[in-house]
Amino acid sequence: MAQIFKPIDNTFFRGIIVGGLLLLIGWITTAIMHQWSSSQTGVGIPLAQPVPFSHEHHVEGLGIDCRFCHTSVEKSSFAGMPSTETCMKCHQEIWKDSPMLLPVRESYRTGKPIVWNRVHNLPDFVYFDHSIHVQKGIACQVCHGKVESMPLMRKENTLYMGWCMSCHEHPGHYVALHQNNQRQPPKTPTEMSYKPWDPNIDPKRVKEIRNCSACHR
Amino acid sequence: MDKHEHFITAEKPDYASIDRSVIGIPLEKGFRRPWLFVFAVAFPLFIVLQISIFWLFVKGVGIWGIRIPVGWGFAIINFVWWIGIGHAGTFISAFLFLLHQPWRAAINRFAETMTLFAVMCAGMFPILHLGRPQRFYWMVPYPNTMGLWPQFRSPLMWDIFAVTTYFTVSLLFWYTGLLPDLASARDRAQTYWKKRIYGILSLGWRGAAVHWEKFNTLYLLLAGISTPLVVSVHTVVSFDFASSIVPGWHTTIFPPYFVAGAIYSGFAMVLTLMIPVRKIYHLESIITEAHLDVMAKVTLTTGLIVGYGYMMEMFIAWYSGNLYEHFLIKNVTTGPYGIMYWMLILCNVIAVQILWFPQVRRNPVILFILSIIFNIGMWLERFVIVVVSLHRDFMPSAWAMYYPTVWDWSTYLGTIGFFFVAILIFVRTLPMIASFEVKELLTHEHK
Amino acid sequence: MAARYADKDQLVEAARLARSNGYTRMEAYSPFPVEELFEILGHKDRRLPWAVFFGGLTGCLAGFFMQFYANVFDDKLNIGGRPFNSWPAFIPITFELTVLFAAITGFVTLLSRCGLPEIYHPVFNIPTFDRASLDSFFLCIMADDPKFNIEEVSEFLKKTNAADMNRVEH
Repeated sequence: MAQIFKPIDNTFFRGIIVGGLLLLIGWITTAIMHQWSSSQTGVGIPLAQPVPFSHEHHVEGLGIDCRFCHTSVEKSSFAGMPSTETCMKCHQEIWKDSPMLLPVRESYRTGKPIVWNRVHNLPDFVYFDHSIHVQKGIACQVCHGKVESMPLMRKENTLYMGWCMSCHEHPGHYVALHQNNQRQPPKTPTEMSYKPWDPNIDPKRVKEIRNCSACHR
Repeated sequence: MDKHEHFITAEKPDYASIDRSVIGIPLEKGFRRPWLFVFAVAFPLFIVLQISIFWLFVKGVGIWGIRIPVGWGFAIINFVWWIGIGHAGTFISAFLFLLHQPWRAAINRFAETMTLFAVMCAGMFPILHLGRPQRFYWMVPYPNTMGLWPQFRSPLMWDIFAVTTYFTVSLLFWYTGLLPDLASARDRAQTYWKKRIYGILSLGWRGAAVHWEKFNTLYLLLAGISTPLVVSVHTVVSFDFASSIVPGWHTTIFPPYFVAGAIYSGFAMVLTLMIPVRKIYHLESIITEAHLDVMAKVTLTTGLIVGYGYMMEMFIAWYSGNLYEHFLIKNVTTGPYGIMYWMLILCNVIAVQILWFPQVRRNPVILFILSIIFNIGMWLERFVIVVVSLHRDFMPSAWAMYYPTVWDWSTYLGTIGFFFVAILIFVRTLPMIASFEVKELLTHEHK
Repeated sequence: MAARYADKDQLVEAARLARSNGYTRMEAYSPFPVEELFEILGHKDRRLPWAVFFGGLTGCLAGFFMQFYANVFDDKLNIGGRPFNSWPAFIPITFELTVLFAAITGFVTLLSRCGLPEIYHPVFNIPTFDRASLDSFFLCIMADDPKFNIEEVSEFLKKTNAADMNRVEH
C-alpha cells in the first residue's frame, strides 16, 4: 500500500491542530478582554467638544467649584450641564472676542443650546441618582477622576455595572460618615484634595446594596 | 441461547463483503436515485429553515405564536422533542455496550450520528427563542463587565451544561468509534482526495494492538460515563418543567417519564431512518430482521413506561386533591386541545401495543409506518405538556388559546429538513455501520 | 519484518510462539481488537483509566467550586433567605462537568498515548497493509528487538503459516 503522506506531514498535522486550539483560546481571551479596552469603554480618551472647555483652567487655575456649573448635583439625579448663560456670566467681559468662544456667543445670541458630546452616559435601563451619592459623601473625583487636571474632559472609569458593584458591594470603603453611629457632616465633595477614605469608619456597618431594582427600575 | 447467531444472517457475510457493503458506500461515485429524491425534499426544507431564522432575527420572536399566557411554544416543544430523539444513539452505544448486547454493532454508528444531528437541531432553539439571540453567551460563566454570575440554580442553566456536555461527549464517542472505519475507508479509497481526506480524518489509525487496547479501555470508560449522562440530560430537561409550580408540570414522574419517552422516540427515529437505508443500500444481511425485532422490543418497553407515566400523571393529579390539578385533568382530556391528547394516547399507548406481535416486529414496512406514528405521538405529547398546562393555569382571567403561526411551523419543518440533509450527507460520506464491530461479531460467531 | 495472516487465530498463535521464542519488540495489526494479543504482547495501559478518573474528578471539583464561589463568596444573592450554599441545586452542573472533563481527558489521553495523529508511519509501506483494516492480520517484529536477526526472523515467521511476508523500511 502506498504511503499517502510524507513523514513531515505528521508534524504539519499536529502543528495545525495545536495551532488551531491556541488560536481559538486566544480569540476567546481577546474577545473577553476587549470588553475592557478603551475602544469599548472610552476610558482615557478625551472627546472633542464644540468648545474646547478646559476644566484644568477653570477649576485648578481659577478655583471655580464644581457646583458653580453643575448646579443640581446635590438635589437631583442629573448633575446639571451649565447653560450658556452660566458661561456668559464671565465671558461677556473676559475673552469676549475670542474666536474659540464664538459658539458660546452664538448660542447666547440665538438661544439654541450648545450641543456638547456626552462623556459620561449610562444606558437607558440604568437609573443613576447623583444627589444620593453626593449627600452620602462620595466625592466627584471618586467616579469622575481628577477632573481638575483634565484639559479636555475624559472618562476615568468604565462606568460598567461591575465597576459600580465594586463599590456597592462594600460601600463602607467609600463613604465618609457614620462614626459611632453619628452622621458626620460631609466634607465638601468638591475639594480638590478630598480624600474619601476615613480610617475611623467601620466598613462592615455600612450595608451593601445588592438590590437589582435600586438601579434597574 | 446463542444470541450472536441471529445477528448476521444466513448468507454469513465475510469480512470482505461487509467492507464492500459498508465502506463501499462513501467511496462510490455518484448518488443513488433514492438519495437524490430524499435530498430534493429535505434541502428545500433546510432553505426554509434558514429563511425562518433570518426573518426571526429581523423581526423578533413576535413572529411566532407565543403570547401571554403561553410564553413557551414550539421552541421548547421542538427542543425537547429533538433532544429526546437524540437519546437513542447514546443509549444504543453506551448502555447496550455495557449490557454486552451484540446487536448494537450494526446500528450504533447510525444511531450515534443521528444523536449528534438531533442535538444540533435541538440546540438551535434555546438560542433562537431568546429576545436578543445575540446575547446567548451570557449563559456561560465568563468574566463580564457586569460582574455577575449566571444563575446556576436554574434548570435552564443546567440545560446549557447538560446539552453541551451531551453533544461533546457524543461527538467524542462517535469519533473514537469512527477512527477504525475511517482507516478502512482510507485503505479502500481509490482517488487521491478521498485517500487524503480519510487519511487525515482517521489520524493515521493502523490497528496496532497497543492502540486497540487503549481504544477498548477508552470505549468502555466512555460508555460507562455516557450511560448516566443519557439519563441525566433528559432528566435535566424534564426539570425545566418539573421544578416549576404549574399544574401538570409540578410532578415527580417527569424525570423517568421523560427519559423513557426520549429513548422511545429515539428508537422510533432510528427505525424510521434505518428501515429505508437498509433497503436502499442492501444492508439487510447486517441489519437483519432480528435487529428490527429487538429494536421494536425496546420501543415497546419504553412505550409501556411512557404509558405508565401518563397513568401516573392522571392518578397523582387526582389523588393530590388539588383543585388546579383536578381542573388540569378535565382540561387536558376534554378541553380545546383534548383532541391532541387523545391522538397522543392513540399513538403512544394504543398503537404501541401492536408491537407485541412478533410478525409486526419483523415487518419493515409496518415498523416504518409505526415509527413515524410514534414520533408524531411524542411531538404531540410535548405539545400537550407545554401548551395545555400553560394556556389555562391558576387564574381564569389569564386563560387564552395558543395558535402556532406559519413561522413556528416553518422553523420546525426546517429543522427536520436540516436533520435529513445532515443524515444524507453522513450516509454518503462516512461508513454508516461500525464495520469493525460487525467483523468482531462475525469472528466470535465463527467459533 | 512483517507477516500477514488471513485469520485471527493464526495471528494469536504466531504471537504466542514469538513470545515464547524470546521476541519482545513486536506489534500486531488487526481490523478489530483481539483481546488475547494484549496479554501476549504485554500491553496493559493503566494510565488511561487514571487519566479519565482524574479528569472527571477535576471536572467535579471545578464545577462545584465554581458554583460555590459564585454563590457563597462573590455574588451572594439573597433569594428569600435561602442558604447561599444550596448544594443540591449545584449537583446537576457538577455532574455534567464531571462527565465532560472525563470524556475530553480520556479522548486526548487516548490520542496522545497512541501517538496519534500519525498520518505517516513506516508500516504503511507494506504493500498489502491496506488489508490490515479489512480482513488481514499482521505481526511485525521490530528491528530493535535484542534477538533480531533478519534471516532468523524470516525463517521463524515462515514457519508460522504466514500468508505473505514483507520487510518494512523506515
